[in-house]
Amino acid sequence: QVVKKEGSGTESPMIGDKVTVHYTGWLLDGTKFDSSLDRRDKFSFDLGKGEVIKAWDIAVATMKVGEICRITCKPEYAYGSAGSPPKIPPNATLIFEVKLFDFKREDLTDDEDGGIIRRIRKKGEGYSKPNEGALVEIQLEGRHGERVFDRRELRFEIGEGESYDLPHGLEKAIQKMEKSEESVFYLKPSYGFGSAGKEKFQIPPDAELQYEVKLKSFEKAKESWEMNTDEKLEQSCIVKERGTQYFKEGKYKRAALQYKKIVSWLEHESGLSEEEDVKAKSLRLAAHLNLAMCHLKLKEYSQALENCNKALELDSNNEKGLFRRGEAHLAVNDFELARGDFLKLIQLYPSNKAAKVQLVTCQQKIKEQHEKEKKMYANMFQRLADKDLKSSATIPTSHTEDAEMKDEQNGVEDKSEVDTEA
Amino acid sequence: MAVDELQAIIQRCQILEEADFKGEDFNLFLVAGQKCLEDGYAAQLLEVIKNEKNKVIIKNMGWNLISPLVRCIFMYKQEDDKRELCLKILDQLAQLCNPKELFLGLLEQIEQTSGEQVCQTVMLLLQPLQTVLLKLENKKAYSVGLSLAMIMNQLAPLPVPYTKQQIQEDKLGLCQCCNAVVDFAKPFVNEVVKNMEELPENNDMELKEELLKFCMKSLKHPLLTAQFEQIEDIEEHPFRHFAAEITDILWDIRELIPLVFLHHKGKSSHWENQEFADIEQKNSADSLACLSYLMFVQHFGMDHFPMVFSPSYLLQCNMTHIEVLLKSFFSAPHLQDLFESCLLRMEDNSLLHQYLEFRDFINVPQDLVKVMTLCPIEHLRKKSLNILQLFIDKFDTEGKYTLFRCLLKTSNHAGVEGYIIKNIKDQIHLSLTGTHDNIWFTGHHLISLLDLVLLLPEGAETDLLQNSDRIMASLNLLRYLVIKDSESDNQTGVWAALARIEQNFLKPLHVGLNMSKAHYEAEIKSKKENRREAHNPNTVCSVTVSGEKMPAMTTEMQLQVLHSALFTFDLIESVLARVEELIEVKLKAVMDE
Repeated sequence: QVVKKEGSGTESPMIGDKVTVHYTGWLLDGTKFDSSLDRRDKFSFDLGKGEVIKAWDIAVATMKVGEICRITCKPEYAYGSAGSPPKIPPNATLIFEVKLFDFKREDLTDDEDGGIIRRIRKKGEGYSKPNEGALVEIQLEGRHGERVFDRRELRFEIGEGESYDLPHGLEKAIQKMEKSEESVFYLKPSYGFGSAGKEKFQIPPDAELQYEVKLKSFEKAKESWEMNTDEKLEQSCIVKERGTQYFKEGKYKRAALQYKKIVSWLEHESGLSEEEDVKAKSLRLAAHLNLAMCHLKLKEYSQALENCNKALELDSNNEKGLFRRGEAHLAVNDFELARGDFLKLIQLYPSNKAAKVQLVTCQQKIKEQHEKEKKMYANMFQRLADKDLKSSATIPTSHTEDAEMKDEQNGVEDKSEVDTEA
Repeated sequence: MAVDELQAIIQRCQILEEADFKGEDFNLFLVAGQKCLEDGYAAQLLEVIKNEKNKVIIKNMGWNLISPLVRCIFMYKQEDDKRELCLKILDQLAQLCNPKELFLGLLEQIEQTSGEQVCQTVMLLLQPLQTVLLKLENKKAYSVGLSLAMIMNQLAPLPVPYTKQQIQEDKLGLCQCCNAVVDFAKPFVNEVVKNMEELPENNDMELKEELLKFCMKSLKHPLLTAQFEQIEDIEEHPFRHFAAEITDILWDIRELIPLVFLHHKGKSSHWENQEFADIEQKNSADSLACLSYLMFVQHFGMDHFPMVFSPSYLLQCNMTHIEVLLKSFFSAPHLQDLFESCLLRMEDNSLLHQYLEFRDFINVPQDLVKVMTLCPIEHLRKKSLNILQLFIDKFDTEGKYTLFRCLLKTSNHAGVEGYIIKNIKDQIHLSLTGTHDNIWFTGHHLISLLDLVLLLPEGAETDLLQNSDRIMASLNLLRYLVIKDSESDNQTGVWAALARIEQNFLKPLHVGLNMSKAHYEAEIKSKKENRREAHNPNTVCSVTVSGEKMPAMTTEMQLQVLHSALFTFDLIESVLARVEELIEVKLKAVMDE
């Protein structure tokens, strides 16, 4: 398959390196079908990633800088039975002459400033990589110069690396790893511990670091259809825990995301056994109730309402569901509806003190609103009447009256917000 | 007389210094010139303009004449001498007038046209515009960009000729105009090429950027919706020519190959604001998809494309484009050829299942299913079905398995589900008769898949008619399994799962069948009885199709429908009976051993 010609240089490129070559390709009968020389542009690609035909990935990895190599590729290592229209017929054996000019270690930074360099020791599986928030399990060994300063196995969530004494450059690097991949990362100081250094590990400021990392596994966001019912129920429990954790830490948006997963997985699940059905329903109920709570905290009242309704569909007399719905109604000044919920609550759960308090608030609010409306309409007619009698002189007064109105309304609204939070 | 008025103002201005020209002088000149043209004294006007002594005047005031000039040109017929004269005047103005002002005048003229006049105006003014632009010193790139953008914007609302007849007729002149614009752009392309060669480091990006923008716009319109099939009587298909020119320009400015991989390599754009970056990406999605189509299906620009990429990588890069093109399926169905062409480059069973981890590899088949089920044109539906089958075939076995699961859960269409189930049967057949062991279509993986297949979505209450395709396919699959796989072997694991299958599938199916049959038979009976009574003209509901109210179904037709439903149920029942018979026979055979 491969017939070499010349060579120089010392090292060969590794998987993931960006290699630059010049090449010419011929069919067996001598027709030239392609050449980078004709384009007067060197050709670059990432080695070992399946970007090019198999023959190339294999051959170029064995070359050294400056080497010129002539390779003969059987169709199985090139374009096979399909060929590559328009120039390459099916089942074609191809001949390439390739000259390796250069190879660059893989740079993982966005700006290509060489801050994070990777050399892959062992290629990973699959194509997905951990993203922000994914739980990863890694084995790492950090070096500064010759000294190993950190060696451990740990599980953490991407984004929380700092609390585990990991430089943010390393977190970025891990996000580009595949499952079971083993690589070495070279971090420049700005992607490492920077000018502060790291006392804990005795790292001086502006130090270049080297980390050897093995990504053992990571949490993949699986699609609904990818998991069977057991998996879904299992994941839902895990995710519920996660959500509750976030909620306790006050991270309501994140908590909501977790609960939403439960809903999307289990909402339309069919074909459940009795046992599974019971479990699913209870998870969904919990998810909706907790979502309602999160939305209330985030002041997203219509969404809170929606979730309360869904929870109450599953369990129409649910105490928390009714209470939270009442709160949501109160927050958007639907006092009548709020009262309805709290009344029902008290009927079903007479010991619920909070509900009683809220009920009183509702009554109060309703009364206030009636008063306000009475006043507003009364004034309105009075003003209209006044207007008819006088002309331009009344206008300033009605303005101030409007302003008074607005102030009053604002005052009432502020008060109601304080109440719900309590 | 108009000519006298013109002479008068000319004489007045001849003695003035350039800086002393006043607003009213400009006005008088314009009015006089306009009148000359309208009254048919173009020849005299031409003389005045050509006159050396008037050079300064023309330089400053000439550009005002563009508007009336263009109007006049369109008034006269093709062969008219006067038209020739006007064209000469236009030419002279281009040579003599102040480039900046003339440029604005020309652009304004283009901006103001609309409808049928657009292409004619543009083609008329391209030559003078080019002359003027070449004369501009600074801000040339900006002006070139502005002109091209303006022209393309004016062309955008025009409909793209589609049929052979439309292209030959070219009623609005779009085909001609596009090609004229490309010729217009050529000197600027050459300039960029020269710059890049002479000073490779100092890349004057501006002109190149403007040309790039122009190409992107043309890719979106008209090229995205244009037809490229060779037409017999026309020597040079105008859109093929245009496409070839555009790809050539892109190649010359060295942007052709980078563009093909732009979205894939994910180079971040220059915008600070993420919102703008999103908008830019959305706008360029159509253009890039069109470029991929032109290159990989119509082979424009393939001469320059490196022939070393692996087919699966090309498919990966093109998936985003395929997704975009599927969305415009109804306006330009030929674009699906990109998907087909990428798939055809691959060998069967070569696509790794890991590719399904990419978002678009999952979205595309789902979009394809939507097309298959919603498109009103039959041959297009068939075509998409073929492409889907092609797609399935290219995956390795694990990939096929995952894809089947995905489609079964997401397609929500009995016909599609039936088709997938048939595919599953074929795969099982392959694995049972083939040499190597296939873990995905035997054993417990298969059972997990069968759980999805052998069930009634709503239990006994499932609408059997609507789901008949799927149910028949499932029954056929079960029958196959029972026949092919003996109980002792139990390679597929179906015998072990028999009890569950019976409970989740066979029993509810019996119940459902009985219920449905009873219901329909009752309907038939009551209809027959009603027929004896008077016709009831008030229908409970009426059906409207394409704005026309469908005639109410006569009782005969209704009975026909009901009978055919019963027939379907009988069919299902017979297969069901056969399956159960086979199961019984096999079980008995084992027990007898």
